[in-house]
Amino acid sequence: MNTLFIDTHGEVVVLAIYTDEKLMKKKESKERKDHSTICMPLLVELLTESKLDIKDINDIVVVNGPGSFTGVRIGVTIAKTLAFTLNIPIRMITSLELYLDTIQNQEYLVLNEKNGYYIGKIENKQIIEYEYIKTSEFDSWALNKNIVFGDKINYENLIVFAHQKEETNPHVVNPFYVKKIEVENDKRS
Amino acid sequence: MNKDVNILAIETSCDETSMAIVKNGKEVKSLTIATQIKTHANFGGVVPEIASRMHTESITLVLEETLKKFSGKMEDIDAIAVTYAPGLLGSLLVGIECAKTLSLVYNKPLIAVNHTMGHIYANNIEHDITYPTLALVVSGGHTDLLILKSESEMEILGSTIDDSIGEVFDKVARVLGMPYPGGPNIEKEALKGQNTYQLPTPMKEENFNFSFSGLKSYVINLVHNEKQRNHEIRISDLANSFQTTAIDELLRKVELAFKKTGIKNMILAGGVSANKYLREEMQKLCDKYQVTFHVPNILYCTDNAAMIGCAAYPLFRAKKFSDFTLNAKSSENIKKYIEENK
Repeated sequence: MNTLFIDTHGEVVVLAIYTDEKLMKKKESKERKDHSTICMPLLVELLTESKLDIKDINDIVVVNGPGSFTGVRIGVTIAKTLAFTLNIPIRMITSLELYLDTIQNQEYLVLNEKNGYYIGKIENKQIIEYEYIKTSEFDSWALNKNIVFGDKINYENLIVFAHQKEETNPHVVNPFYVKKIEVENDKRS
Repeated sequence: MNKDVNILAIETSCDETSMAIVKNGKEVKSLTIATQIKTHANFGGVVPEIASRMHTESITLVLEETLKKFSGKMEDIDAIAVTYAPGLLGSLLVGIECAKTLSLVYNKPLIAVNHTMGHIYANNIEHDITYPTLALVVSGGHTDLLILKSESEMEILGSTIDDSIGEVFDKVARVLGMPYPGGPNIEKEALKGQNTYQLPTPMKEENFNFSFSGLKSYVINLVHNEKQRNHEIRISDLANSFQTTAIDELLRKVELAFKKTGIKNMILAGGVSANKYLREEMQKLCDKYQVTFHVPNILYCTDNAAMIGCAAYPLFRAKKFSDFTLNAKSSENIKKYIEENK
């Protein structure tokens, strides 16, 4: 039972193969190029080095954000197209859930990004609420809160955790943006 | 006899998620177009981030629908083609990554297609393009007059030096208070009016380049000035005058090309070629010069993946395949594309 793990939410693309939930091979992009030029070639490398054909993949776990909008869309598009065409199960986990294994008794998990922070409220070792806070508002928000920053990911246990999540129909596997976009009605003159 | 070639094509460069299966570069076996126009109309134009999001949401649904309409199997597909330029980066990327994935899963070659070439090759669907031919590409991103010498040899006679004609239609429509997309709305309004506003002819020079920003500014200023003076703007008349002036300029350059090149074939391509006034006047002009004129069915004038499947066919035969490092490009000089694909 081979699981393909796809994470494109951050600066580095991470792809991995798990066999029976055990990490077999993990590859990360080294160059800081566009994810679009990196992700599929890296997947081909991963498969070749694992001596697997894409048809040997039995299920998919994809990180659907929050993070880089374009980055997440690349991973999600590849993942949902794979799941649909190969007709295999697909599950989504969030970028914050990648760090759940490392928390102790904190109330909030925080991920830093360019202009702000993605925040996950934790209850019973689960994230129950997500929000985005701008850098300028973070210090006052964080005052007197028991928080932990997402730092190191424990890849070994990742798929055991992900497999507890429900399978999703590939058609509704979509990015989880959290951050709102501002659309002004008329910017142009 | 050559084996039939079926190409699965993907187009996500702007606000339509589209896929098609095209046989031998001309027979449309299956076509799906999911348009986002209604969503973007709320904002008065295409919002790139929303467009990218909607492509991601609908990409596998459009794929499923396209495969369902196709009578054959995935094994009957010979290649996967995708628009890689020009267009909105985030939108293009959704189509590109889906295309790469299909190429990997089904072990089929990947073909990168220029969107503008797609508009031109849409002319192959109902007629065979006869070479040499003049081609006028008019859309939201392009205003180009070309000579197609053969399937693989082209020359650009002229292009817009500022705004594309489609852009100017959208801007003028907005100033006249019409919803997005502007082009079809100007056309509708123009039918009710007369060409009574004296508007400046865009370019006096006798070359093949176009310029529309002067005309655009003139109309915008006119509307503002009339409003300030509390004068009534006859919207239908102004729409008619603007449409006539802009399209007559296209026709003037095409006529010049007929005279200078003596080419007896003419094709029209791109979203603006859905404009009825342009189609009718071009037909009259071609009749006058005994030029054979073809324009795609309106369905194939606006953005669709069938045209991408058509344009991919000569690339398939020339074995011009792409690898998985293929990236999106927001703009690509069509001259460079022509050079590279010689």
